[in-house]
Amino acid sequence: MAGDSRAGRARYYDGQTAQVHEVAVRPTSHELVMYRPADSSIVARWPIGEVTVLGDLGHEAAPPVVRRGSDARLIVEDPELRRQLAGWVPALSPLVRAPAPVTGRLAGFGSALVALLAMLWLAIDYGSEFAAPLLPHHLQAQLGESVYDELTADKTECHGRQGLAAINGLANRLAEAADYPHPVTVHVIKGGPVNAFTLPGGILVFYSDLIDQAKDEAQVAGVLAHEIGHVVHYHPTKGLVRQYGLDLIGKVLSGGYSDVTTLASGGNLLLALRNGRAFEREADTTGVKLLDKLGLRADGVSSFFQQMMEKEPKDSAAVLGIWSSHPPTTERIEATKRPAIGKPPFTDAEWRALRNVCR
Amino acid sequence: MSETTSPWARPAAPAELPAATPQVAEPDLAPSRPTYDGKLGELYAIYLRHLVLMVLTLGWSRFWGRTRLRRYLWNHISVLDDRLEYRGRGLELLIGFVLVVLILAAWAGIMWLVWVELLGERPFGNVGVFDLFSLSVALIGFPLSYVGQYAGLRYRLSRTRWRGIRFAMAGSAWGYGATATFLGIANAMTGQLLTPVVSVTLARPRIANARFGTLPFVFAGSAGDIYGRFVGYYFLNLLAWGIALAVAIASIGGTVKALDVSGEDFAQLFSQPSLRTVAIILAAVVAAYLLFSLLILPLRCWWQAYWFRYAVSHSRAGNVLFATSITTRHMWGFMVLNYLIVVLTLGLGWPWVTHRTLRLIASQLWLYGVPDGTVIGQPPGKGPRFGEGLLEMFDVTGI
Repeated sequence: MAGDSRAGRARYYDGQTAQVHEVAVRPTSHELVMYRPADSSIVARWPIGEVTVLGDLGHEAAPPVVRRGSDARLIVEDPELRRQLAGWVPALSPLVRAPAPVTGRLAGFGSALVALLAMLWLAIDYGSEFAAPLLPHHLQAQLGESVYDELTADKTECHGRQGLAAINGLANRLAEAADYPHPVTVHVIKGGPVNAFTLPGGILVFYSDLIDQAKDEAQVAGVLAHEIGHVVHYHPTKGLVRQYGLDLIGKVLSGGYSDVTTLASGGNLLLALRNGRAFEREADTTGVKLLDKLGLRADGVSSFFQQMMEKEPKDSAAVLGIWSSHPPTTERIEATKRPAIGKPPFTDAEWRALRNVCR
Repeated sequence: MSETTSPWARPAAPAELPAATPQVAEPDLAPSRPTYDGKLGELYAIYLRHLVLMVLTLGWSRFWGRTRLRRYLWNHISVLDDRLEYRGRGLELLIGFVLVVLILAAWAGIMWLVWVELLGERPFGNVGVFDLFSLSVALIGFPLSYVGQYAGLRYRLSRTRWRGIRFAMAGSAWGYGATATFLGIANAMTGQLLTPVVSVTLARPRIANARFGTLPFVFAGSAGDIYGRFVGYYFLNLLAWGIALAVAIASIGGTVKALDVSGEDFAQLFSQPSLRTVAIILAAVVAAYLLFSLLILPLRCWWQAYWFRYAVSHSRAGNVLFATSITTRHMWGFMVLNYLIVVLTLGLGWPWVTHRTLRLIASQLWLYGVPDGTVIGQPPGKGPRFGEGLLEMFDVTGI
């Protein structure tokens, strides 16, 4: 059995008071005995089966040895005594289980973090391209419907049956031409601005001011084809996925530290705007292609932009530059220019009905 | 000095005692400082592991990561040769967070039901039910962040042990939240002139309600003690702001005039930035920072260092007195440099900042005396079962 010389010093807290006892420790066949070295008086006896270590050397400098169910603690700073205790009582082996060298851990976790962030970035930037179409359509549609309800809660929706049938008919023909496998729904909202937008799940929203102020049906068809471009490329869903993913990266890196999160949000905003400009260019190109494919007049996109430019000569997207969600209008006019040839997108009756959709 | 209760119940002037009075034993005022023996590399290893797991679990591992970091930091701080011990669990933090999420979800559900059933889904002007919910959460978030700070402190103290004895926190978090909200609004309405009252009133419950086991802490501060210094700081601060603004306006105006650039040129600069523009903007930010730091921040650090020294030296735990000699320069490192480290490293400098802060505390906090361990027992109750949900939701949670 071990003699006193093998027992180094440790600190014992009784768990009842804040007294500190300098103790020596020695085991018997079934107990760990703490006693005062000065007079060998016993301070505590712990059954070996009830002894355990809280924590580990990777986190605690001196993981406390405790008796289960008790607030008492034995703190062993002396490495030699720790080694002895671990030898006597297997349950105390965490006292000597040193963590991996710190340089190895730093290199391992550091490179894992860089690799994971790079993968996450790639997954967000490129993965959303592939993942968005795979997201169940009914979920995208549910999301789109709820956003639509929220955005239009205080607006008046137009219900002209024939007008809605005309615009929905063309929208679905364009979507089919792009092999989009789901139905598309177009809502018309009374009033302005002169705008249209797309929500997840193939939901399009047109403001009636856009229809009223369009010079001809080719312009409405052009804008519609552009929005269908967003639909068939799943731009709204991709945008949401990217935004969420980038926010996540920002939060992970900043540890939630508010000022850093704000900086990261600023960066995310710029990235979202860059995504927005890329989406708009893609939708412009696709819209014109789809109209061409169906043999319809495809000059409406550029003539609509031209009309917007005439009304507001200052190209706000060009002025805003990196802060704009859209490419410069002059660039878009050039990119979508087509001759005024092809079948009319709507019959006269359809176009009249669409003009009167809100009346 | 407004310390009215001597920890040893000793008369203020022992020389006037009658000769027959038995001598009161001199208190043990042996000075000591806490020690911090953490290693920056080890702290970073734990932190990087935490970040890796955060990415893998989409942020849900943060409760466990925070717990691991606390275990490391607490156990590398020793007071009177005995280490602190942190025994909180990640699961407790997760449950605390989920509970607050459920309460908010219930609140959202009630609002939605009222909107659908009673109001027939009619919007309130241009405001939808989602906007109203966000607004209501933002409004209650302000007082709840104070409640969360107090409740979070209670949780952390209840999971902290020294010499085997748990810390504890009495008092009502809701009461603290109400007081802090009221004082925050009052201070804003009086141009921050109530700052000493706010500081002392909010420090008192946080210190005086803290317990080491059965031993309460005592705070003997009074706003009256620090008003003189504050008024000096307040008006010097106004003067410094005036000078800083005047210098900034003059230098910006002078630069614009000298470069002869129009508003459109400016718009062009910011919307289509070249590398040169970015460099110029960075240089301007650095110049603004230098100006701001030269005039404003030292004053702020001076005041904060004073307030820290005051608050610490007016606190005690039984017969253990506290004191600190923290200076304006220390406070500069603590407030300004730490902030810059975290922001400029996009958060990755957090362990470095924590390490610096704990080393500062270890070098500048003095304890006089030792507690009588024989009379200190475990506090009644084991503290809250879950923790920090409100803090997580409505406040920035550091470690």
